[in-house]
Amino acid sequence: MSLLRFIEPNRATSRGELRVLAAIWLGALLLGWACSASGLLPTPAEVLRALRSLVFEQGLLAHLSSSLYTSLLALVWASALSALLCYAAVVPALRPLAVLVGNLRFWGFAGVSVAFTLWFHGGRDLKVALLTFGMTGFFVTGLHDELSLIPRERYEYARALGMSEWRVVWEVVILGTCDRFLDLMRQNAAMGWMLLTMVEALVRSDGGIGVLLANQSKHLDLASIAALQGVIFGVGLLQDLALATLKRVLCPWAFLKVEDESHELSL
Amino acid sequence: MNCRYELREALLTLDDLGLSLGGKPILSGVSACVRNVTRPGVLQGQVVGVLGPSGVGKTQLFRLLSGLTLPDRGRVLVGPKQEPVARGQVGVVAQAYPLFEHYSVLQNLVVAARQHGLDKAEARKQAAEMLARFALQECASAYPATLSGGQRQRVAIAQQLIRPKPLLLMDEPFSGLDLGMVRAVCALLAEVSLHDEELTTVIVTHDISAALSVADTLWLLGRPRETDGTCQGARIVHTIDLMERGLAWHPDVTHAPAFESTKREVEQRFATL
Repeated sequence: MSLLRFIEPNRATSRGELRVLAAIWLGALLLGWACSASGLLPTPAEVLRALRSLVFEQGLLAHLSSSLYTSLLALVWASALSALLCYAAVVPALRPLAVLVGNLRFWGFAGVSVAFTLWFHGGRDLKVALLTFGMTGFFVTGLHDELSLIPRERYEYARALGMSEWRVVWEVVILGTCDRFLDLMRQNAAMGWMLLTMVEALVRSDGGIGVLLANQSKHLDLASIAALQGVIFGVGLLQDLALATLKRVLCPWAFLKVEDESHELSL
Repeated sequence: MNCRYELREALLTLDDLGLSLGGKPILSGVSACVRNVTRPGVLQGQVVGVLGPSGVGKTQLFRLLSGLTLPDRGRVLVGPKQEPVARGQVGVVAQAYPLFEHYSVLQNLVVAARQHGLDKAEARKQAAEMLARFALQECASAYPATLSGGQRQRVAIAQQLIRPKPLLLMDEPFSGLDLGMVRAVCALLAEVSLHDEELTTVIVTHDISAALSVADTLWLLGRPRETDGTCQGARIVHTIDLMERGLAWHPDVTHAPAFESTKREVEQRFATL
């Protein structure tokens, strides 16, 4: 079997082959990093030492759990608000609300933080409010678009079975798209996790990994910054994996369509 | 083949139906009646094939018959009591065989049964019976996404027939199928029509041969020009009684003497629709 097949354009790859290719790339990147002599990039050994110091001397795990809790609360609030607004949009009178909130994604974050500080006075509530605000606009836009893509035939199918309009909303709009809802939750969780360090650097009470990162940035401790970035990246990936698993458990049917098709260019 | 049969009470009446969309007349003066066909020793339902060129208004007629759209004029009466059609009262099998993708095959049937007021235990019992009748027991716990086209079609029909219905509407059931599959679908429809004396199956299709194979009556939907050259919308311009011609309920209808001549006649009429 020739290795040349891996440079043929548009060639289908199996999942196993893709994993091997990913491992090769990861290994090459780690090797390149270990061998690099740039003064700006700390070596893997320096990063590991900084990570140990962060864990045992600077309370990384406590900060991390605080961040995770904040992120989770914001995700729950953003998901609940978005679901409420978008599903309520089946009633024409409430439809403009979803559009309006969706457009709030263009509202500046900085100005909002002052208003929210006056309202929530600081602490975790303020961080959760800021993150929820940051996520909800995008979540509502995504969910609203998903719901508007439901084909008319699906509504008519449910109606032809004699279902009431509220039952149609439950079966077609809510249950019928819950796999896409979980996808959007996953995307917004990633966005929230990315915003979190910024919000925590802005609101330092209750700690958080963003506070640690801001402190290390102030002292230009590149090894600690790299270690924290690695932790943020790894936890973000784990969070993404957890939500993907949740979708697999709650919506197994959503994977059946994909698995039956060949993965020409699947990544 | 000569079968003794009798036509009794009306089971489906289209009474001067008219429909306009955006000011444009789509259907106008659509009138027809399907009577209960009785044959000695057989539970014989009625099968009507609706043929017409693309864009003539077959889908809109389908929607009127299903109760999903209300006509601007006229009415659709269904069942032996000739009650006005209401949505949910008739079975509708759309072209893509939609099902609830988030439910298993069994759950799809149970949801449909419970929709008609059955309790959970009775709904499951009825669903199990339908699975057995349509040879779907092995698919009971499968999700619709994993079904083949033929299985999906059977589930869609089973779901619609889980409670007695006066009318089963099928939109293009032969679309995109090869000859073998068309025969299989015709056999399935023949089986469905033999299950309930009062069930009328209306099949909207382009496939003249398949419609001739399975129907006892054909309606040709066309858009005739008025004397002043205007067009007031489509209506049933020809009704062909296949029972009278000995082409209904025929086990090997494609080899019946009248089959080819009737097919040619329909094709010739089709060209003028």
